[in-house]
Amino acid sequence: MRFAAPTWGHDAVQDLLQYILDGLSIGSIYALVALGLVVVYRGTGQINFAQGEMALFSTLVTWWLHDQGMPLLLAIAISAALAFVGGAAIEVGLMRPAERRSAFAPVVIAIGLFQGLNSLSGLLFPRSGQGLPFPSLFPNDPDDFVSILGANIRIERIGVFVVVLAMTALLFALFQKTKIGLAMRTVANNPASAKLVGVPTNKILMFSWALAAVIGAIGGSLKAGIDTNVSIGSMFSVFLLSAAAATLGGLDSPGGAVIGGLSLGVIESLVGNYPEDWVGSDWIGIETKTAVAFLIILVVLLVRPAGLFGSVKVERV
Amino acid sequence: MSIGAPPLKIKSGSTLHWVLRAAVAAMLVLLVWQMVSGAQPSSLGKYTEAMALAIAALSLNLLFGFNGQISIGHSTFAGISAFFLGYSVRFWENRPFVSLIEACVLCFVIGMVIGLPALRLKGPYLALVTLAIAYVWPTVAAQFIERKVTSVTGESALTKFRVNPPTWTGLKTSREDRALYLFWVALGLMAICYVVVRNVRKSRAGRSLVAVRDNETAAAVMGVNLSRTKTITFGISAAMAGVSGWLIAAKIGTVDENSFTILNSIKYILALILGGVATLTGPILGAFAYFFADDYLKQHAPNWEWLPGKFGDGPIASFLLGVLVIAFVFVAPQGLVGLFRKIGRKIAMVVPEPIRSGATPPAQEVTPEPTAEAIQEAIDEGE
Repeated sequence: MRFAAPTWGHDAVQDLLQYILDGLSIGSIYALVALGLVVVYRGTGQINFAQGEMALFSTLVTWWLHDQGMPLLLAIAISAALAFVGGAAIEVGLMRPAERRSAFAPVVIAIGLFQGLNSLSGLLFPRSGQGLPFPSLFPNDPDDFVSILGANIRIERIGVFVVVLAMTALLFALFQKTKIGLAMRTVANNPASAKLVGVPTNKILMFSWALAAVIGAIGGSLKAGIDTNVSIGSMFSVFLLSAAAATLGGLDSPGGAVIGGLSLGVIESLVGNYPEDWVGSDWIGIETKTAVAFLIILVVLLVRPAGLFGSVKVERV
Repeated sequence: MSIGAPPLKIKSGSTLHWVLRAAVAAMLVLLVWQMVSGAQPSSLGKYTEAMALAIAALSLNLLFGFNGQISIGHSTFAGISAFFLGYSVRFWENRPFVSLIEACVLCFVIGMVIGLPALRLKGPYLALVTLAIAYVWPTVAAQFIERKVTSVTGESALTKFRVNPPTWTGLKTSREDRALYLFWVALGLMAICYVVVRNVRKSRAGRSLVAVRDNETAAAVMGVNLSRTKTITFGISAAMAGVSGWLIAAKIGTVDENSFTILNSIKYILALILGGVATLTGPILGAFAYFFADDYLKQHAPNWEWLPGKFGDGPIASFLLGVLVIAFVFVAPQGLVGLFRKIGRKIAMVVPEPIRSGATPPAQEVTPEPTAEAIQEAIDEGE
């Protein structure tokens, strides 16, 4: 979204500010979905490959409810509630029994879910292949922006950023201040010991999956609002970037996921908006900004193999 | 071991064992003969594609199954090799097999380089880096096509490279003969890759691979050169993935930037896990099972008219494949090879020949319970 050509004139600072704020807004969604991945990873040690498609399915449910005449906020709430049940059901019905059978089973289940949910979306919402128009929670007319230090920031972006930040704060309160959060941290730290001291490990895992699904439902709906449409391909890149954000921050660190997500959003926005100045060619396309983001992650991981804030496991021989 | 009638015990290396091996070999020959005789080019092409998938799964098995390094980037190596074939045959008038060898060397070197970060990264972190590579590849490929192909020929894909049978085979350049030729090439390449993986696994190198997988520190203490082992494994595996890509490109005859995406990598992983991780024949069985399940569903997907979605192929087949994959985990959590072993063990068991040395007392001969490791080794031998 370019309002002016990036020249290093008097408005260069404004442009920069604008790109950074835009990036923070998208990045906040990556951060949110990354939190969903971290929650599951801490409980199970698995990256949930189906996170993006779970979000896609919930987002399409939101779309359908809204299409039936329901207010968007209510539609998101209902689809989040359904996602809670669905996420719990996936853990209880598929992941838990599979985990007992073999070490690779959860990966296969997640890939199966990825494929199954994606095509189920295509089946139940036939027009989602081309993309369905998705409304935004916030005013998003062309002139709905505010000027901060001369940069035009769209109200929608600010809204998304604030909502996601609030949700993140709530999640952190959940992790740090509640009993269930304490139990989650115990399970993440040492599942076997947690069980021994009476933490209901199974319930915690179920809750983690449900929480991840809810996060996906809300994050997906917000992303679809920014894109103004949702199609069956639209959540894969969200998953990829969120996984990248979570890895950048350290897969077992919620704070790292947030920082990783926000910085990824900003990097993407900057690289995407400054092509000519930086590389001087048409080399940078819409995908390449992601490529640059990945390259930066590679460098970070080479210096810190467990991510920025991940805990380094000491191995005993 | 199992309740009920004790299974038939076959001594490793005994006459019966050799007879069984010969029977398996004969069945394989029959199977290939069955595939070739009177087959249409389209079905031969399917076998070729399944074998290409098997080669990719074999390469991933070497890396992940035996060495414990995960890669979601193997589609990139396949892509590099496929592009190399297309470009070098079309524009340099390279001979296909020369390009195969060059592509393998290229993939080996690139694989070693990409294997370097793998020295520091583990598990999901390595998965992410390789995933990033798979994600970046289509962009690079698109740029390559735009600059090197479209600007010259005006086409948006690499096309018009044909892998024709050489004259000594007596085959012509017709569609039928080319399909037959590529089938045999695929079979040969798959056999070579299988033997490479098998020999690596059975050798000192393979034992050090597995040692690194199981415990890096312990392996290093015992004198395994960690960085050399890991990078060379990555290189060999990448080269084999390159063989798979070469084969697909040769079969299809056109490649573009979307021919080798992350979804291909996921397919390789699925084929490997469905067949059986860290087994020798698992990748091949898994690749054929996955490929033909997918193929069957695409052709015979039911027409559920109560669903609002598109009928016929497309989503229903894809959905059922997802369901099938999930269901499979519950039927055979250790993959097809694990399932066959479980069934086979109830009927007959190959027990290892006692070590022929004076130091071993003959009492060892009647060891009632051979260790799981020994059984596995013996079965691996049998395969």
